[in-house]
Amino acid sequence: MLIELKDVYKIYSEGLESEVRALDGVSLTIDRGEFVAVVGQSGSGKSTMMNVLGCLDIPTHGTYLLDGVDVKELTDRELSHIRNKQIGFIFQQYNLVQSLNVLENVELPLIYQGIGADERRELALDALDRVGLLGREKHKPSEMSGGQQQRVAIARAISTRPPIIMADEPTGALDSHTGHDVLHFLQDLNKGGSTVILITHDNGIAATARRCVRIADGKIVDDQAQEVDWL
Amino acid sequence: MNIRQAIKMAFKSIRGNKGRSVLTMLGIIIGIASVMTIVSVITGSNQKTMEQFEAMGTNKVNVSASRYDGRNVFDDLYNYCNSLGGDLVLGVTPSSQFSATVVYGTKNSAVMDKNQQNMWNSNGNGDTANSTADLPPTMYFGSDQYAICNNFKIGKGRDISQMDIQRYAQVCVLGARAAKIFFNYANPVGQTMQVNGLPITVIGVYEEKDPDSQWSMDNIIVFPYTSSRYLAPDTQMTDFIVKASSSSATTEVISRLTGYLGGIITDQNGYFSVYSDNEWQQSSNEYATQMSLILGGIAAISLLVGGIGIMNIMLVTVTERTREIGIRRAIGAERRSIVIQFLIEAAMLCGIGGMIGIIIGYVGSLIAGKLLLQMIVWPAPWITACAFALSVLLGILFGIYPAAKASRLQPVEALRAE
Repeated sequence: MLIELKDVYKIYSEGLESEVRALDGVSLTIDRGEFVAVVGQSGSGKSTMMNVLGCLDIPTHGTYLLDGVDVKELTDRELSHIRNKQIGFIFQQYNLVQSLNVLENVELPLIYQGIGADERRELALDALDRVGLLGREKHKPSEMSGGQQQRVAIARAISTRPPIIMADEPTGALDSHTGHDVLHFLQDLNKGGSTVILITHDNGIAATARRCVRIADGKIVDDQAQEVDWL
Repeated sequence: MNIRQAIKMAFKSIRGNKGRSVLTMLGIIIGIASVMTIVSVITGSNQKTMEQFEAMGTNKVNVSASRYDGRNVFDDLYNYCNSLGGDLVLGVTPSSQFSATVVYGTKNSAVMDKNQQNMWNSNGNGDTANSTADLPPTMYFGSDQYAICNNFKIGKGRDISQMDIQRYAQVCVLGARAAKIFFNYANPVGQTMQVNGLPITVIGVYEEKDPDSQWSMDNIIVFPYTSSRYLAPDTQMTDFIVKASSSSATTEVISRLTGYLGGIITDQNGYFSVYSDNEWQQSSNEYATQMSLILGGIAAISLLVGGIGIMNIMLVTVTERTREIGIRRAIGAERRSIVIQFLIEAAMLCGIGGMIGIIIGYVGSLIAGKLLLQMIVWPAPWITACAFALSVLLGILFGIYPAAKASRLQPVEALRAE
C-alpha cells in the first residue's frame, strides 16, 4: 500500500463556532501504479485532501501512512525530503518562479536534492524533452503561453522521477485542446508506472482516470473503478 | 542547496530589482564611506604627528633642574646622567636655549627677530605658511652627544667633539635650515659667523629632517656648552636631554632621575622636572584613537540606519515573495535552505553596498586628506577589510529576522498568497 488514510480529519478553528471540517473522517487507500481522480465541487475538501496527501499540510486527527510511514511523526525537514523525492506537484496556476528561466525552474527540485550542476542539467533537459520544450530553456515563464507553462511545471514535477504525481486541477487554466495534451501526458506517466492522483471538479476530466473518488463536504461519497477514457 | 547556488540566486534577485537594490544599498554605501573617510583621515593625521615625533627623536627624556639659592646642580646632574650606563642611556647632552645675535654677511638674526615680530603682529597667530621671510634660528648649548639625543645626523663637516668642549672652542654646528638661511647654497663649513660679536667657526651642518614646516627643528645652531662662559655668561645651564635606549629604558631613566633629583632638590629650595616625549606621543595616540572612536561611532549610526533599511526591504521582499517561498517549500526546500537564501541575499546586498562605499571612502579619504591635512591619505588595508567585514556582518545581522520569518511560512499558506 503506497497511501493509506485512516479516519483523517482536517478541522480549521476546531471547537469554535466558526469550525470548518475540510476533511471529515476520510479513509482511503491507494496502491502503487494507480491513476485516481478525486472529484468534488468547489469547497468539497478535495484541495485539502491533496495538501494532506502531498505532505503540504498535516491532518488534525487520524493517520496518514505514506509508504508505511506515519507522516505525523515526521519532522519538517523529513517532510521536505518526502515532497522533494517522492512527490511531483502539478498545480492549476503552474506555480513557476517568475524570476527564473525554464531550465532553472525545472532544475529547482534537483538543486534541493543537492545534485551536481552537470547531472542536474542533464536530468532537467531530459524532462523538458519529454514535455516537448527542448530549445525553450532560456525563456522566462512570462514569455510562454499557459499550456507551455503547465508543461514546464510538469517537467519540474517529473525531473526528480518521483513515484507519485499529484495534479491539482492541472487543466483548469488551459483551453480544451491544451488540457487534453496534459491529461494525455498524465496517462502516459501512469502507464510508465507512476502513481497519479488527479484532483478535479470536472467529471469529463475524471473519466481519464481508472478510479474515481467522489468527495463532498469533506467526506468520501463514492469510490469505484471505472472505464478509462483513453486519450 | 549549496552556498554557490544560493549566491547565484541572490545575484539574480538583486539584479532583478536593480532600482530597489541600489536604494537599499544607499544607507550602507553612505555609512561605510563616511566611517572609512573619518577613520582614515584621523589615522593619517596621527601618523603625521607620529612622524614628527619620530623626527624629533623618540625615547627622549627632558630634564630640567635648578635651585633658588643659585647652587650649581649642573655638574652633579650631568655626572649622574652619564653614570646611568650604556644599557639604559644612549647619550646625554645639556640642552639650554639662549639668545644671541648671529651675523654673517648681510644676514642678521636681529633683523629676523623683527620679521617674526611683525608676522605675529600682522596675523596674530604666527602662521608663517605663506611667508617667505627668514625666521631667526634657535640657539642651543650642547655636547658632542647633542646629535644622538635629538636624532640629527651630520651632513657636512663634523660634529662637536669632546676636544671642542674641553677647549671652549669657538665653533658651532648648523641645522639644515639655519645653514640655508645664512649661507644659501654655499658650503658653510669653515666659514666664520659673528655671534654676539665673537667669531665662531662653522664646523658642520646637520642633515635636513623636517623640510615641511617653517617653524623647523632644522632652524637651529648648536654650540659646545662650555662656550656659554663667553657667549652668554648669564645663561643658567638647567636643561638636559637624556636619550634612553628603549621605551622601557625611558621609564626606568625617568624614575631614576626623579629619585635622584628628589634627593637633592625639594619644593623649598628649587624645582625640577623630568618628562619624556613618549608621554606626549602616547597621549597624542590616545587622543587620535578617541577621536576615531567618537567620529567613527557617529558615522556608524548611519550604518545602523542603513542596516535597518536593509531589514525593512528584506521584510518587504519576503512578503512579496511569499508565493515563491511556498513553491520552493512545496518542491522540497528545507527551512534551512530558505534561511540561507534570504541571509545570503541580505549579506550580498550589504556586501556590494560595502564595496561601493569602500571605493567612495577611498576617494573621500584622498580629498579630505588633501584639503584638511595637505597630505595623501590612503585608507589602511585593515580599515578596508574591517569596513567590508562590517557591511557583510550588518547584512547577516539585519537579514536574520526576515530570513527566519520567510522560513517559518507554512507551504500551504504561502502557496495561497497572491
